[in-house]
Amino acid sequence: MRNNIADASTIEESLRRHATYSLGKAWGDLSQTELFNAVALSVRDRLIERMLETEDRYRREDPKQISYVSIEFLMGQSLGNHLHNLGIHELYREALGNLGANLEAVQDSEQDAALGNGGLGRLAACFLDSLATLGMPACGYGINYEYGLFKQEIDNGYQREKPENWLAQSSPWEIARPDEACFVPVYGHIEHAIDRKGGYNPMWMDWKVLVGIPYDMPISGYGGRTVNLLRLYSARSSHDFDMQIFNDGDYFKAVEQKMESETISKVLYPSDAVVAGRELRLIQEYFLVACAMRDIVRRFEQNHNTFRDFASKVAIQLNDTHPALTVAELMRVLVDEKDMEWEEAWNITRATLGYTNHTLAPEALEKWPVPLLESVLPRHLQIILEINRRFLEQVSVACPMDVEGNVERTRRLSIIEESTPKQVRMANLAMVGSHSINGVSAIHSELVKTSLAPDFFQLFPERFNNKTNGITQRRWLLKANPELANLITASVGDSWITDLCRLRELESHAVDPGFQEEFRKVKRLNKVKLAGIVKDLLRINVDPDSLFDIQVKRIHAYKRQLLNTMHIIDEYLALVEDGRQPVAPRTYIFSGKAAPGYWLAKQVIKLIHNVGRVINNDARASQWIKVVFIPDYRVSLAEKIIPAADLSEQISTAGTEASGTGNMKLALNGAVTIGTIDGANIEIREEVGEENIFTFGLNAAEVRTMREQRSYRPWDYYARHPRAKRVADSFSSNLFCPDEPNLFAWIFASVLDANDEHFHLADFTPYVEAQGKAGSAFRDPGRWTRMAILNVARMGKFSSDRTVMEYAHEIWGVQRSTLIDDPLLLETPTG
Amino acid sequence: MEIPVENLDGVSVAVLPVDELDASNAPEFKRDIAPALQANTKLVLDLSRLRFVDSSGLGAILSCLRQLTAKNGDLKLCGMSRQVRAAFELVRMHRIFDIAGTKEEAVQAFAQ
Repeated sequence: MRNNIADASTIEESLRRHATYSLGKAWGDLSQTELFNAVALSVRDRLIERMLETEDRYRREDPKQISYVSIEFLMGQSLGNHLHNLGIHELYREALGNLGANLEAVQDSEQDAALGNGGLGRLAACFLDSLATLGMPACGYGINYEYGLFKQEIDNGYQREKPENWLAQSSPWEIARPDEACFVPVYGHIEHAIDRKGGYNPMWMDWKVLVGIPYDMPISGYGGRTVNLLRLYSARSSHDFDMQIFNDGDYFKAVEQKMESETISKVLYPSDAVVAGRELRLIQEYFLVACAMRDIVRRFEQNHNTFRDFASKVAIQLNDTHPALTVAELMRVLVDEKDMEWEEAWNITRATLGYTNHTLAPEALEKWPVPLLESVLPRHLQIILEINRRFLEQVSVACPMDVEGNVERTRRLSIIEESTPKQVRMANLAMVGSHSINGVSAIHSELVKTSLAPDFFQLFPERFNNKTNGITQRRWLLKANPELANLITASVGDSWITDLCRLRELESHAVDPGFQEEFRKVKRLNKVKLAGIVKDLLRINVDPDSLFDIQVKRIHAYKRQLLNTMHIIDEYLALVEDGRQPVAPRTYIFSGKAAPGYWLAKQVIKLIHNVGRVINNDARASQWIKVVFIPDYRVSLAEKIIPAADLSEQISTAGTEASGTGNMKLALNGAVTIGTIDGANIEIREEVGEENIFTFGLNAAEVRTMREQRSYRPWDYYARHPRAKRVADSFSSNLFCPDEPNLFAWIFASVLDANDEHFHLADFTPYVEAQGKAGSAFRDPGRWTRMAILNVARMGKFSSDRTVMEYAHEIWGVQRSTLIDDPLLLETPTG
Repeated sequence: MEIPVENLDGVSVAVLPVDELDASNAPEFKRDIAPALQANTKLVLDLSRLRFVDSSGLGAILSCLRQLTAKNGDLKLCGMSRQVRAAFELVRMHRIFDIAGTKEEAVQAFAQ
């Protein structure tokens, strides 16, 4: 059955065939986009063969199935990954070369699937890669947004958002499955009735119905032995028109209703947007949950007759609270549709579900007003209230109300917040309804227990655990940084591709002058490439021999791009006012998007541009400092920026970054981290050693104490530290906004406000000192290269393969597929 | 819609003559089944042609049951496809109807 690829000529034939019969054009007449489509369709043929083999294997073996439910999957480009994973990268390069095309250009023309905002969505994508590579039976469930994350353009330093209609030309990776469409009811009311046995029988009547059409994206594992699926759902109206309205003659109303239904999967909500209370978002979340659950149940029923086995055959992981309605939906399916008793259904639900928390910020935890939920999902609200009633009964036994503090504790534990109007707390629902609750780094998981949900931790400590995030080395090293990947493979072999801990073997090369020289060459080559991109996009010349100091991530107050900018201003003012040259020439590179409604973050983007404009145009500074902001940060751009980084900025306010994964990607590519004691930075420090990272600033406990005791006095820092004062004053001086006076005066007020949530002035001086140390280290190439090599060598822990194995063993109860150890299948990928 | 009704052992058996019962034809169904509801308190509704039912259609069938039970009668259903059964389960209506596989079984159920 398998279409073996013996040589490049077979591929050429396949490419020509797709040009002719799939695209209806002669090879020579293909546009760049069509060229990409021809290549992608040719690769898809191979993927489908492996996908069918994989499905057949799962059918025969009937293993426990993992369902990863996430409102975001930030897949980026797929072609390069599939080529590497199937081991056909070089064959396609050769075939395309023979046909007069260039593989890199073809890969570059693929549009990113930007179905996510940032870390949470990219984590989901990395997990899918690892699950397939490990041969684990898994399916991702998400939404097939028509408009992914917006395209960012910069106009006079201001962010402008443009719609990103990634499906405008349809994706060659997606396979439509209209035959497996499912119905999703919403709205309606409950009719209270009595069933034939005399029991209470609430009936969900008068709902409207949406249709979920699945689109499958094949997910190849490295080596090509397993091709799993990411199943994305598009919303359609139940009929092309609501026939009743149509019959009544209101054609336009019928079309409007159809459009409303299809709006559900139209757009990805930007993170940080105020979504609470938005009916469309709630329906979007339920649409995902209902479609996923329908499919999971359908698959289960193909092989099983009784739902008593459900939890032993199905594991569902909820990526944050967005899919938390799964708790109520699974209960509804088991109790209402499968006639199961409540207690048994509840035990199965809890045993099946695991919940991953991604944020500590209480304001970021989702809540839905009870009246809204009652209107959209009346039966689910009933179920949630019953779950809560039974849960609080349990709580009242564990925490008797006559003991002081227990009334308040019970209030905090309740799934329903007693506000006006009452709210359903989705995190509480997820925690009550899951057997596992995990954070995404060691510190974050501790803070979940001690700060976010201490009452829950006290009640069921056994559910809480940590799963430090990870990244797939296939994407973030093998594909993104082929030169470094080749150097590593030439030095220690290629086993790191599936076992990242093997990079430890690089340690012995860390002080080898020959290896160091090669390592530096690779880094410089990547910096030259990035300098070319900067020149093309921004018409700014940057020196590849300067220190590339890189902060790439969403623009957000807690990530403190502002602190980074304050340090740049300090360096600049020290140079032009004090005549003190920086330790080493630097290029400060920023990239990232601000949520469209997030004024502060958008102002920071403007500030970075204005600071850059002043510094980049000042002849006194031009040899020493450059500041660039590369627009439209996305996965494919990250793959170009990250390999070029010398210094990785991970400077969130301690206690705010759950984990971070950019920190891991940058370190894996030989950047040294400058960071706070926060998120996974702490574990990176443990791995690479304190001497190979620059840490600074307040720790999470100190931040918490200052907040609780309200002891932060920014004016003291301002008074005691002249450099901090000079930087703060620059914001009220119009130095960086001569054309728009007082534009940044708010920053002066903000950093000197005792309520500054992010303690900029407290961390400023320690940050400047740490930056000084980093600059000094960079001036010593031998020392710096050793640090960089050791960072790469010690990143083994941060492979998403490790993370996924931990989830599998400790949460899902799934073992690694024996297939991986089957010597007959351990073929070396060709190419 | 024309709803064929036959009498088997004193039970009326009506055949729902459409593939889809939804907002567009549920009022018509309610109107056209009314004579059968008037004629006999023991009614079987054969759903074997039905492939899709929405909440309006379910509501119409439910109203038939309510009219008959108000007269101490009953409505039994038969011939449900998997998809139609799923719609009944979704709203828990399968618990208030007596659902048989075939019309003969449904008629027999009245005798028990």
